Amino acid sequence: MGTVFFELSLTLYFAGFLLSVADIIRKKHDLDRAVFLLSLVGFGLHSVYLLFRYIKSGQAPVFSMHEANSFFAWSILLISLCINFYYKARVLNFGIILSFAFMFVSAFFPRGIPYIKPELKSLWIDIHALMAVFGIALFSIAFVFSLLYLIQERAVKAKKFGGLEKILPSLEILDKINYRLIFWGFPIYTFALVVGLIKYFILLGFDIDPKQLWSVLTWCVYLLIFYLRVKGDWRKKRAAYLTIFGFLLLIFGFFGINLLTESFHKPL
Amino acid sequence: MNIIVIGLNHKTAPVQIREKLAFQSEDNIRQALRQLIQLEGINETVIFSTCNRVEVYVYSNKENEDSIINKVKIFLSDFHRIEIKDFENYLYIYKNKETVEHLFKVTASLDSMIIGEPQITGQVKDSYEIALSERTTSLILNHLMNRALFTAKRVRNETRIGENPVSVSYAAVGLIKKVFDELSKKSVLLVGAGEMAELALKHLIGTGINNIYVTNRTYERAKELAKDFNGVALPFDNLKELLTKVDIVICSTGAPNYVITLQMIKEIMPLRKYKPLFFIDISVPRNIDPSINDFDNVYLYNIDDLQDVVDNNLLERKKEADKALKIVEEETEKFMQWLNSLQSVPVIISIRNKAEEVRQQELEKFKARFKELSPEVLNSVDYLTQSIINKIMHSPTVALKNNCDNKEILIFAARRLFGIDIEEE
Repeated sequence: MGTVFFELSLTLYFAGFLLSVADIIRKKHDLDRAVFLLSLVGFGLHSVYLLFRYIKSGQAPVFSMHEANSFFAWSILLISLCINFYYKARVLNFGIILSFAFMFVSAFFPRGIPYIKPELKSLWIDIHALMAVFGIALFSIAFVFSLLYLIQERAVKAKKFGGLEKILPSLEILDKINYRLIFWGFPIYTFALVVGLIKYFILLGFDIDPKQLWSVLTWCVYLLIFYLRVKGDWRKKRAAYLTIFGFLLLIFGFFGINLLTESFHKPL
Repeated sequence: MNIIVIGLNHKTAPVQIREKLAFQSEDNIRQALRQLIQLEGINETVIFSTCNRVEVYVYSNKENEDSIINKVKIFLSDFHRIEIKDFENYLYIYKNKETVEHLFKVTASLDSMIIGEPQITGQVKDSYEIALSERTTSLILNHLMNRALFTAKRVRNETRIGENPVSVSYAAVGLIKKVFDELSKKSVLLVGAGEMAELALKHLIGTGINNIYVTNRTYERAKELAKDFNGVALPFDNLKELLTKVDIVICSTGAPNYVITLQMIKEIMPLRKYKPLFFIDISVPRNIDPSINDFDNVYLYNIDDLQDVVDNNLLERKKEADKALKIVEEETEKFMQWLNSLQSVPVIISIRNKAEEVRQQELEKFKARFKELSPEVLNSVDYLTQSIINKIMHSPTVALKNNCDNKEILIFAARRLFGIDIEEE
């Protein structure tokens, strides 16, 4: 019965998605308010859905393909709403488009409660999974902002403003948001990784899983990004490129690696 | 009924003629309005005078439009003490629908020298308010002026005609905003002096920048400018050091060579931790090495780049103007419908139709209620009701058909009184 909340929020996201695309194509901002309201209500309903699932199953709603995508969509929207609120930057359009995409994907997967081995059922595993997905969402949005930064930077350098550049905020704000996202994303991702590794070693010993290796590798790249950004005297364009590189590694670890290997992390 | 405009603008008349026919002050316009409204056959009038155009709008409910036009020409000639033959050839004269369309275009800034410039709408509004306070407008021109302002608003909201800056100095500010966010926390350095550079600086100050540095080869000049802009004057030799501190540089010197070189940028960028630096080079010959634009986080626009941006924006505006013209057409159509609704014959017909409709409805009810009545009685009732209506309608019909001075007001009132709809927003 909780699934009605899912359908409702999916519908609202879809409406928000359509309006956002309209805004972007027409290079205008006049539908922003409607997009904001749709996102906000959709987000509320989605939150109720996730909470329902959590209470019903007693495990974090991130373990099946349906759950992972839906929670990922939820995280992206939460972050976009925060950016919208704190920076008054008009970028919610991009957030809702992304959010809808993942929500749409999640709608195609079976919605049953995934079976988790009893020995894996614990609060720490929940925290690990939730924070990992949330951290990845932060990095994903950082990736989007890096792309937007490069688009805008290219336009300013080339002195041509024909397309998307017209509605993008200033380079400074794009970079600032990018920095914030990495600044929050890195500790969250690190924490999720550490909890996961400890839990894994306790339960299963040192039988390394390919996903773990990949995650640690990705973590190293983000460590570099984090270090360079916090240090400060860095060319912003390079930061953008490295963020994009990090994200490609990340997304491969999140989705791709499951296709190639029989990972223990494979969603159910 | 005639709505006529007689006028000239930057396209039809050279400035020597425009300045002769321009109304120099508000009092001047008031005086002219008072004289015009006295003329036989002119029922309403509005005068519109800016540096680019002079237009006299008149409404007359007499049929003879040529005599009205002549009267206005004679008036202009007398008022400005200029022979008619000296300005006659520069005039444009529109009648009725063309007048409406013209006014809507003017108000929506589609007829301006710089399409989409926003002042014109305000100027139309001011002119209308002057006429309003002189009581030289009434039903027709009031409605016309309100529709013109409404059309301008629609054009502004529904098209992007006024969106992109079309002056070089505003374009510069627009570009700076693409790079920097909170301009109030940024600092700007003016190197050299010059009208356009100072204008750009003024626009920047308008956006909230208040950290202003000025440098010049002659230190005295720098001090003068710094005083004007409430900034700090610094010696020219400190230029390199200054570049490590500021975010925006406006350069406009008479130097024959590059004042800011790639080498300088290479040295200062690490010192400023690669914080973005925006250069505007307004000088001719150029004072900043163009190759610095390839350096990360350094942005350079010279006068030609800015002009390109402006040209592009103008092109965009022209495209938007086509959309705006559709809106003008639509609104003109609506206004003409409204104007036609003030013709007497259709109003009389509508009122009569309405009365007949009510009569028929009531008759039906009556017949349904008294089924036992004979056809003769019913016929008498039919006849009776018809004659009541005819008697009541007689005097309104006569009044509406007669030609009187404020006929359109009477028609307007009749529509209201009898509840005949006029399309209104």
